[in-house]
Amino acid sequence: MTDSILEVRNLSTHFFTDDGEVKAVRGVSFSVAPGETLGIVGESGCGKSVTAMSVLGLVQRPGKVVGGEIMFKGSDLLKLSKEELRNIRGRDIAMIFQDPLSSLNPVLRVGFQIDEAMYAHDKIPKDQVETRGVDLLKQVRVSDAARRIKDFPHQFSGGMRQRAMIAMGLSNKPDLLIADEPTTALDVTVQAQILELLRDLNEQTGAAIILITHNLGVVAGLCKRVLVMYAGEIVEQGTVEQIFERPQHPYTWSLLRSVPRIDANRGHRLLSIEGLPPDLIDLPQGCKFNPRCPFRVERCFTESPLLEQVAPEQRAACWVTMERAYAEMGAGSITDTSPGAASGIHPTGRARPAVEVPVAMAEPVSD
Amino acid sequence: MTDTVVAPRPTVSPAVEPLLRVVDVVKHFSAGVGSSVKAVDGVSFDILPGETVGLVGESGCGKSTLGRMITQLIPVTSGEVVFDGVDITKLRGEKLRQQRKQLQMIFQDPYASLDPRMTVGDIIAEPLVNFRMIRGRAKDVRVQELLRTVGLNPYFNNRYPHEFSGGQRQRIGIARALALNPKLIICDEPVSALDVSIQAQIINLLEDLQREFELTYLFIAHDLSVVRHISNRVMVMYLGKICEVAPSEDLYTSQEHPYTRALLSSIPVPDPRIESKRRLVELSGEIPSPLNPPSGCRFHTRCPIAQVPGICADVEPQLELKGAGHLAACHFSDQVRTKIAVTI
Repeated sequence: MTDSILEVRNLSTHFFTDDGEVKAVRGVSFSVAPGETLGIVGESGCGKSVTAMSVLGLVQRPGKVVGGEIMFKGSDLLKLSKEELRNIRGRDIAMIFQDPLSSLNPVLRVGFQIDEAMYAHDKIPKDQVETRGVDLLKQVRVSDAARRIKDFPHQFSGGMRQRAMIAMGLSNKPDLLIADEPTTALDVTVQAQILELLRDLNEQTGAAIILITHNLGVVAGLCKRVLVMYAGEIVEQGTVEQIFERPQHPYTWSLLRSVPRIDANRGHRLLSIEGLPPDLIDLPQGCKFNPRCPFRVERCFTESPLLEQVAPEQRAACWVTMERAYAEMGAGSITDTSPGAASGIHPTGRARPAVEVPVAMAEPVSD
Repeated sequence: MTDTVVAPRPTVSPAVEPLLRVVDVVKHFSAGVGSSVKAVDGVSFDILPGETVGLVGESGCGKSTLGRMITQLIPVTSGEVVFDGVDITKLRGEKLRQQRKQLQMIFQDPYASLDPRMTVGDIIAEPLVNFRMIRGRAKDVRVQELLRTVGLNPYFNNRYPHEFSGGQRQRIGIARALALNPKLIICDEPVSALDVSIQAQIINLLEDLQREFELTYLFIAHDLSVVRHISNRVMVMYLGKICEVAPSEDLYTSQEHPYTRALLSSIPVPDPRIESKRRLVELSGEIPSPLNPPSGCRFHTRCPIAQVPGICADVEPQLELKGAGHLAACHFSDQVRTKIAVTI
């Protein structure tokens, strides 16, 4: 993949807290092609946001990127000085955040904040900034843009604020837009509008988009390729069709079956993933998903699986993979999703507890 | 505003006495001189014993206010809330307390709804202590039993809320709600603050508990997929009014109100093939202010099939029966499915 605009190799970001070293991102590698839409999905604490923050050099103490390379247009972002990084951030790579209200300055007019990003970098000629500001607001479909650009953020609704944030992100015609949970704080009807807007902007401007979200439906609508993260690692990656139709990692598979779908028949029971994600300070041996996996085998307790090719363009980090789980463990018809339920494998020397307490729940987490 | 007209109540079977009957409840919050926020503006419905009724709508539609009025956490401006045969809006003090015993609530935020200075055991036992139901050793036994019921280790009773994750805290909140053997539980966004994999655990738990203890739920949420999954019937609310009530099976296949159709078309489905064909119902504009709701049908300012000027801006539609247990408040409900093309 030489034609990628962003290539992350073996990225590790840790947080050095009083309780210990939180290994938030460990050995993450991926690339983004020009104009591509890449989704990163996972639950809170899986490292998806920290990965994005690492790319932009926004990880703050006690966090630190402890290893890896982030190649963007031929240079390693991790080796750049603060000044050089500032030239790229907001110019070539832009980011939009989950909460559009706290990302906007309440005492400055929306227009000023959009223009500010353009004045800060010299990409747009100064005399064109103000007209471009209005055009951008029009482009993100804020009605009556010429008037609304003089409003303050509190005069905007939640959806309009997120549109303003997107306008700001696009102002310098970036090559890459990172959107971190851009619709999570919004109502569904507004979410649908914002997603449609991002889809159109991707086609019109050719900017690549990394969409970070916990919502599988959102990814299915916008992204061509998907990374699934769990406990700081990529556990599966592939095209959107592969991930949703033939997931090979038990975590991806379980996640898809644990959400109620609006188009599904009622009455079926959700397949829940039992237990909790692991403590990132004290990670389990072997595969990090083994304490919750119904399909685990002996090997999962001792050796960490690496991302291996399971189909063209699809890679999964699993010793079993769902293909084998279907063939040998009856994955198609399981109702019990407790750890080891389908494979019958439990840690040696530890029988399943007699009390009805899920294994991973036996100890409360401290956060 | 509907003093004389009593809207028809969405009742499934008139033979069964409803456990909860809400009659034309209104909540207006005062917002300075001469103006008020019409958070809930004339809502009527029944809930039968053993039923799960879902209540969906976007933020600010009044769904949480409605839930809180049923438990009398917010007093009604007008209307009746008849629970188990007694209008609890007329009760005060000890009588209200006793009647409310069998009416419990589970809240959205499992961090804010548990007192951080109380042990989990004390939190769960508090309702028992308040009603002097049980003391001493028997109380501890009951707390442990409740912890086990919600899938937590019974010996966690001496721990504090901060030692638990969000999903575990929600289980604690559920145990507290179960302590007094309630008949009706109002679940106000019980899973929205939880991670995807934890949501399924809590939804399954609520379903199991309903079967085991013959509970009745009012399930309030903004996520229509979750609501439809758990509910027998779904009520859709818009700007302080119920615009459609339908059996869950019907809701996905036949919508009688344009707002419901728009809402359904907005929900992303985890399936790239469906998503690539998605066509949205574009709702124009934003949700109007409940300070000054639109005349006639409240949805007419954003409705793709509204006749404006005309009947939609002038006459407020009432909930009318459109099918078995299916009600909608729309002048043109027969055109909803033919005129609003969507892919859902």
